[in-house]
Amino acid sequence: MNDLELKAAARRNRNSWILTAPALLWLTVFFLIPYLIVVVYSFLTPDIYEVKFRLSLTSYLDVVSSAYLRSLFLAFKLAFQTTAICLLIGYPVAYFIARSSEKIKNTLLILIIIPFWTNLIIRIFSWRIFLSYNGVLNDTLMRIGLISSPLEIMRTDLAVILVMVYVYLPYMILPLYSVLEKIDFTLLQAAMDLGANEAKAYFKVTLPLSAEGIFAGSILVFIPALGAYLIPQLVGNQQSLYIGQIITYKIKNIPRNWPLASALSLVLLFLVALLLVLMFTAYKRRKDKLKGLVA
Amino acid sequence: MSDIRLENLSKDFGSFRAVENVNLEIKSGELFSFLGPSGCGKTTLLRMLAGFEIPNTGKIQIGNKDITQLPAYRRQVNTIFQNYSLFPHMSVFDNVAFPLKIRKQPASTIKSSVLEMLSLVKMEDQHAKYPDQLSGGQKQRVAIARALINKPEVLLLDEPLAALDLKLRQHMLIELMNIHDLVGITFIYVTHDQGEAMSISDRVAVMNQGKIIQSGPPDDIYERPSSIFSAYFIGETNLISGTVSQVHDDYIELKCQIDKDEFLELDSTMHFTPLPGKELTMSLRPEKIAISRSKPRTQDDINFVRGTIEDILYLGTHTQYIVRVGKLRIRVFSQHKRVYFDEKALDWEEPVWLFWHDSDTWLIDEVASDTSPSGSDLEIASPYSRAVKKLGNQRI
Repeated sequence: MNDLELKAAARRNRNSWILTAPALLWLTVFFLIPYLIVVVYSFLTPDIYEVKFRLSLTSYLDVVSSAYLRSLFLAFKLAFQTTAICLLIGYPVAYFIARSSEKIKNTLLILIIIPFWTNLIIRIFSWRIFLSYNGVLNDTLMRIGLISSPLEIMRTDLAVILVMVYVYLPYMILPLYSVLEKIDFTLLQAAMDLGANEAKAYFKVTLPLSAEGIFAGSILVFIPALGAYLIPQLVGNQQSLYIGQIITYKIKNIPRNWPLASALSLVLLFLVALLLVLMFTAYKRRKDKLKGLVA
Repeated sequence: MSDIRLENLSKDFGSFRAVENVNLEIKSGELFSFLGPSGCGKTTLLRMLAGFEIPNTGKIQIGNKDITQLPAYRRQVNTIFQNYSLFPHMSVFDNVAFPLKIRKQPASTIKSSVLEMLSLVKMEDQHAKYPDQLSGGQKQRVAIARALINKPEVLLLDEPLAALDLKLRQHMLIELMNIHDLVGITFIYVTHDQGEAMSISDRVAVMNQGKIIQSGPPDDIYERPSSIFSAYFIGETNLISGTVSQVHDDYIELKCQIDKDEFLELDSTMHFTPLPGKELTMSLRPEKIAISRSKPRTQDDINFVRGTIEDILYLGTHTQYIVRVGKLRIRVFSQHKRVYFDEKALDWEEPVWLFWHDSDTWLIDEVASDTSPSGSDLEIASPYSRAVKKLGNQRI
């Protein structure tokens, strides 16, 4: 690089700082500082109404007690099941959309986005009506004689999964669609030409080439599903201890325990971050391998 | 033997008839080309051979086996796709190994055959690379290795050189011929490039609008076109319409109108016997015509006509003259061999003699219609600036 180019690069660097400053400021004030407060609070001593400004590790010791661990486990289990079901439903849908003609494609994509125009709470409430003991679902099933007494779906973990799948499905379909749409489908013909039947061609060519979309979609579904508060609150089992509920409870209800709530939030955050790091590392390794950086 | 036989093969897409009643036999081990403009049905024909399209009517046989309805993965036919279609997520080695892995061959066999195949296409030292890291020519070689590793009976090549630059294209063409000689299987080659088809093929089928217009060895098609389309599509030609005036034992006299009441009398040897008064078209290849300032010594079997040079395009290997004869414009290629014509260079608007052998007045039993190209509408002969025309005609 000559002097001029160096200067230009330096200027670009300076300019990029100016351009990112508003976002950085925003994130610092409304994200980083609050999180630091949470970190500080997690190391304080709980009190009935407030906190005592005395350092302690009791909240973290509490977190690893079996009750809260079970809650964490439940959160992961529900998020995992939601992601798996979203993938099973979303993949064929995304594939179908990606292979449709341009006109049908746009219509279907709009249909997927339309639910976002309605407020989340309203959509969850309509699920409550749909799933409830005397609701539309039970009514219909009984009328056509599939069941003789109403199913108890409302206020179960199943209801939570159902509604989460409904809410997060678009986050699975859209990234999958964008990846599937880019796949050159003559590659499938090439695979079949070389002796692979439809199934083999799919598993050897389409699936590996869509891995990026599966990865992106799964992250976009898993993470919000893990921290979901509203959905378990509105349709979940009242005996189940969903992690979001516990945290709210410890902040709101007396006796309060803000340090414990803070610690739980941070543990959850830490686990998600850990998961992400692991997944990105695996993903990056695969990508590097594709680029031939690793033989 | 695994000769390929196509019987009454037709394929419709909606109301569009892509391939119409094709009957053809391709010998085992032959290098056969389908040549035609885009949309002529050659690719559809290839896709039916590969198993990607099922014909509406007709039959495809390889040897004694009817493969018309067989899915692509059950056919002993492999394809080189136009854009190579290498799997981007697999290394060169894995791409070539793919057909063997699908057939669950043992790893040791896979390794040795893949390396053998890669050395055939001179890519053995690139086996760890990924398609993104390869040049167009290298991708092409990998695609060839991948298509041949299964030892198919037939290799289909769909415009395989279209994406390469000129030098590489010429090089790969020779390489393809060498590979064909080495493996000895049937190659079916689809192209719109007549140069490729002519130089590579044992036989060529010229296609237009879903039909095979003519098939035969390249020289046969070039020297003895059976229709206006094949005369015009392959190489350059002058098409002149005329009427048979007299039929002799071994030659035909023809008359063609070149102006309101001006006629040319031409002779032609005959390859079919038309009746006097029949209208037909003559194809006159530009390189078969000699051009000279002085009148040639009269010979029995030579045609000569008088004309005026309207345009001269210097093209390096040869010069193209556009000579006005009445309302006709006749294109003449003249190579720069001074041993024959020690004349000073011809100039614009100079009167000249054109002469050619009777047997080079090739008769086509077809009347040039308004839609078919005719000798008088050489669009290049319109009076634009000469420099522009020279540039525009570099490809000729």
